[in-house]
Amino acid sequence: MSNQKKRNFQIEAFKHRVVVDPKYAERTWKIIEHAIHEIYNHNASGLSFEELYRNAYNMVLHKFGDKLYFGLVTTMSAHLKEISKSIEVAQGALFLEELNRKWNDHNKALQMIRDILMYMDRTYIPNTRKTPVHELGLNLWRDNIIHSGKIQSRLLSTLLELVHKERTGDVIDRGLMRNIIKMLMDLGSSVYQEDFEKPFLEAEIRLNEEIERVAHYLDAKSEAKITNVVEKEMIANHMTRLVHMENSGLVNMLLDDKYEDLGKMYNLFKRVPNGLSMIRDVMISHLRETGKQLVTDVESSKDPVEFVQRLLDERDKYDKIICQAFSNSKTFQNALNSSFEYFINLNSRSPEFISLFVDDKLRKGLKGVTEEDVEIILDKVMMLFRYLREKDVFEKYYKQHLAKRLLSGKTVFDDPERSLIVKLKTECGYQFTSKLEGMFTDMKTSEDTMQGFYANHPELADGPTLVVQVLTTGSWPTQPTVTCNLPTEMETLCEKFRSHYLGTHTGRRLSWQTNMGTADIKATFGKGQKHELNVSTYQMCVLMLFNNSDMLSYKEIEQATEIPASDLKRCLQSMACVKGKNVLRKEPMSKDIGTDDAFFVNEKFTSKFYKVKIGTVVAQKESEPEKLETRQRVEEDRKPQIEAAIVRIMKSRRVLDHNNVIAEVTKQLQSRFMANPTEIKKRIESLIEREFLERDSADRKLYRYLA
Amino acid sequence: MPPRASKRKTAPPNSSSVTSSDGRSVFSKTKTKGLGKIDRLFNSYANSSSGEIDPDGIVALCSDLGVDHTDVRILMLAWKLKAAKQGFFTQDEWRTGMKALRVDSLSKLKKVLPELEIEVGKPSNYEDFYAYAFRYCLTEEKQKSLDIESICELLNLVLGAQFRPQVDSLIEYLKVQSDYKVINLDQWKNFLRFVQEISFPDLENYDSGLAWPLILDNFIADFIRTLREP
Repeated sequence: MSNQKKRNFQIEAFKHRVVVDPKYAERTWKIIEHAIHEIYNHNASGLSFEELYRNAYNMVLHKFGDKLYFGLVTTMSAHLKEISKSIEVAQGALFLEELNRKWNDHNKALQMIRDILMYMDRTYIPNTRKTPVHELGLNLWRDNIIHSGKIQSRLLSTLLELVHKERTGDVIDRGLMRNIIKMLMDLGSSVYQEDFEKPFLEAEIRLNEEIERVAHYLDAKSEAKITNVVEKEMIANHMTRLVHMENSGLVNMLLDDKYEDLGKMYNLFKRVPNGLSMIRDVMISHLRETGKQLVTDVESSKDPVEFVQRLLDERDKYDKIICQAFSNSKTFQNALNSSFEYFINLNSRSPEFISLFVDDKLRKGLKGVTEEDVEIILDKVMMLFRYLREKDVFEKYYKQHLAKRLLSGKTVFDDPERSLIVKLKTECGYQFTSKLEGMFTDMKTSEDTMQGFYANHPELADGPTLVVQVLTTGSWPTQPTVTCNLPTEMETLCEKFRSHYLGTHTGRRLSWQTNMGTADIKATFGKGQKHELNVSTYQMCVLMLFNNSDMLSYKEIEQATEIPASDLKRCLQSMACVKGKNVLRKEPMSKDIGTDDAFFVNEKFTSKFYKVKIGTVVAQKESEPEKLETRQRVEEDRKPQIEAAIVRIMKSRRVLDHNNVIAEVTKQLQSRFMANPTEIKKRIESLIEREFLERDSADRKLYRYLA
Repeated sequence: MPPRASKRKTAPPNSSSVTSSDGRSVFSKTKTKGLGKIDRLFNSYANSSSGEIDPDGIVALCSDLGVDHTDVRILMLAWKLKAAKQGFFTQDEWRTGMKALRVDSLSKLKKVLPELEIEVGKPSNYEDFYAYAFRYCLTEEKQKSLDIESICELLNLVLGAQFRPQVDSLIEYLKVQSDYKVINLDQWKNFLRFVQEISFPDLENYDSGLAWPLILDNFIADFIRTLREP
C-alpha cells in the first residue's frame, strides 16, 4: 500500500482491480458493515477510512451499488431501533438529554458513513434516483426515533412543558431546547420549503439586526458569539436548500446573470465553512453540463466559427460573474478553467475549429478593428488554446490553414499573424512554432527571389508575370505532388525560373505544386465586356485552352491539362455552374459535370464587378475521411515523440517502474498532447523489442535502460 | 527406396579412426572410444552429404525412440543439445549434448528422456527452456517474432500440460483478436510469467501497474467481458 501512496500520478483506466470472485461483494460488504457497527459503537479510531472508501468505491464500480445501499439502510435502521430503546427508557429530564446526545452521535456517525460512501453518493445514488446518504440518515432517524410511538407524544409534551416553565419564570436549559428545536427543523423539511428569497433575505436582515443590537446594548464580545449562532442557524443549516432551490436557486442566478443575488449569496456563504465550496461545486457541475451540451451539440458543430464564438461567449459570461459577484476569487477562476478544460476536450474537433476561427478572423473578420481589439480577440483564442489537451492537433490544422492564407496572397493581416505566432511560441516554446515561422521566412525569401529573377530577365517584363513561392519541404503541410500541363507561355516561364533558381541554389530540387497556386487573368467576353478573373492555377489552365478553341469536350480538357479528374470536375463546376461566376457554359446544362459534357466560353457573362473572384482556396471544415487522415498523421507523429520521451527519461533514470514511466512521459508531453497510456505501453514494448529497454528479471514493475 | 538408415550405417566413421591411431593415453582413448559410439549414433541418423541430422533424421530418431516428433520431449532434447536450428542437429551439438546426458546409445537415450523432463521442469531451467522454445522456432534470418498460429501450437506444447485452462483461454483469445499478427519474445516470456503468477480464473492478483504487455491487458479485459456476459 505504501508503494501506491507514493505514486504522484495515476491513470484511472488502469487502476481498477479486476474482480470476478462472486463472493467478493459479500466479503467487501461485511467489511463495511463491520465499520458501520464500529462507528456507532464509538470505535471508529481503529478504522482505515481510505481502505473503506476504496472498498465502497470498488463495490459501486463493480455494480454492487444495490447491495451497498440496501445494506446501509438495513444496518442503520437496526442501530436506530436500538437507540430508540435507550431513549425510551430515559427517565424524566434525562429524556431530552439522551435524545440530544444520541442525535449528535447519529450526526457524527452519519458524517463518517457519508465520507466512506462518498462515491456511492456521487454516482450510484443520482443514477438510480435514490436518497442521498445524509438525507437517508435523517429520514431513518425521523421514522425510527421521532415517529416512534413511545417518543413522539412524549417529546411534544416535554417541549411544551419546558416552554411553559420558562414563561412562568423557571430556568431551563436553553441550549438543550435549542438543539432539539434545531433537530426538528433539520428533519421537518416541509416546514422550511419556502421560496428562496425569504430565508435568504431573512438571514441577512437577522444578521444585521443582531449586530445592531450588540452595538446598542450588549457587550461587544457578544457580537462574535451572536453572529456565529445566527450564521449557523440562518445560513449553514439552509445552504443546501438555498443553493438547489428550484426556479430561484444558484443555477438560475448563473443562467440569468444575477450579479447582485450571486454577490449576496457569495458574501453570506463566505461566513460559514464550506459555504463557498458549495457554490463553487454547483457552478462547476452546471458549467460542465452546459459546456458539454455546447460542444457535443451537432448543430453548433456545423459552423466552426459559431462554435468557437459560443465558447468565447460562455467564458466571457463566467469571467464576468466571477469578477462582479465572486470578488474575482482565484479559486473560482481555477474552477472556471478546469471546467472549460474538461468539456472543450470532449469534442475532438475543438482544435480544428479554433484554428478555423482564427482563420476566419484573420481573413476577413478583423477588418476595421483596431489593433488593441485584435490583440484582445487573439488573447481570448489563446485562452481556449490553453485548454486544449491535443495542442499538436491544433498545430497541424493551424499549419494547414496558415499555408492557405499565405499562399492565397491574403497576407494583409501580417501583424496579427505574427503576433499570434509569438503568443504560441511563448506558450509552447520554440519547437512548436519553428515550422510556422519557417513558412513566413519562405514567403519573404520568395519575394526576394522573384525580384532577383526579374532583374536578371528584363526581357520578360512584357509577358505574363510569374510569382513563385519556394516552400521548404517539411515546414509546410505535406501535399501530394500533382503536376498538370501548364499553358505553353507559362511553362516556358517556369522553366526559366527553374534554371535561374537552381543556378543560384545548387543541390536543390524543385517540384511544382500546381494544385496550390492562383492566377489573375484578363478576359474579354462577347460584347467586349472586360474582366479580371481571379482563379486557381487549374482554372487558369482550363481557361487558357479557350484562346484557341470555341468548344472543348470534357475529355479534350482532361487530355490537354492532365488535371486529376476530381479536381478538374470541381474546377469546371465552379466556372460553369455557379451563377455570377459562370465564365464558361456547358452543354447539356446541369449542375454536375459529366464526362460527355461540352464547354464554351460564356459570351454573355456579366458581373457588376470588374474583378471576379472564382477560385479561392479557403480553409474549410474537414470532411470525415480527411479528419480521420489528419488524425492518423497526428498519431503517427506522436509515436516518435513518445519514444523519445521514454528514452530520455530512462537514460537519466536507468531503472524506473512502469507507473512512473507513464507518469513522467505524460508530464513531459502534456504541453503538446495527452499521451494515451496504452500508446505509451505500446511504445515501451517496441523499445523492449528493439533492445533499448528490458524488463527487470526480478521486479516485474521495473524497466531497465540498455545503454 | 533402400532404407536410409542402412546407408548411414555403412558410412565410415569419419574422425574417430584418425584420433585413435595416434597412440594417446588410455584416458583419452576411452574418451575417444565414447565419442566413437556417440558419433556412430549420430552418423546413423545424419544426412551423409550435409553431415547433419536433418528433419528426416529427426523423424527417424523419434520413431526409433518411440516418441512422436512433435512431442515436447524432443523440444527438450533440442534444448539440451542447444540446437541452433529448428529440425537440425549438428555433430558438435550432438556430441556436447550426449556427453552432458551421459548417453552413447539409443537405448540409453530412451531411458534418459524422463530424467530430462524432470531437469527441464526445475524452476532454474524452465524459464530458459521456455525462451529457447521460442527462439528455436525462429527459422529466418533476423526473424524476431512468430505468427499467432505457431505461438498457439507452441503454447499448447510447452504449457498445455501444466496450465490447461489458462492456455485454452489464451489461445482462444489469440485466435479471435486482430490487433496482433505476430508475437515477440517479450510477449512470449510474459505469457509464462502470467500463467505462473496469476491466479486463474479469478485473476485476483492481476494488476496492470505491474507492466504487463498490452496484449495481456487486452486478453484480461476480453476474458472478463466474456465472463460477465456469457
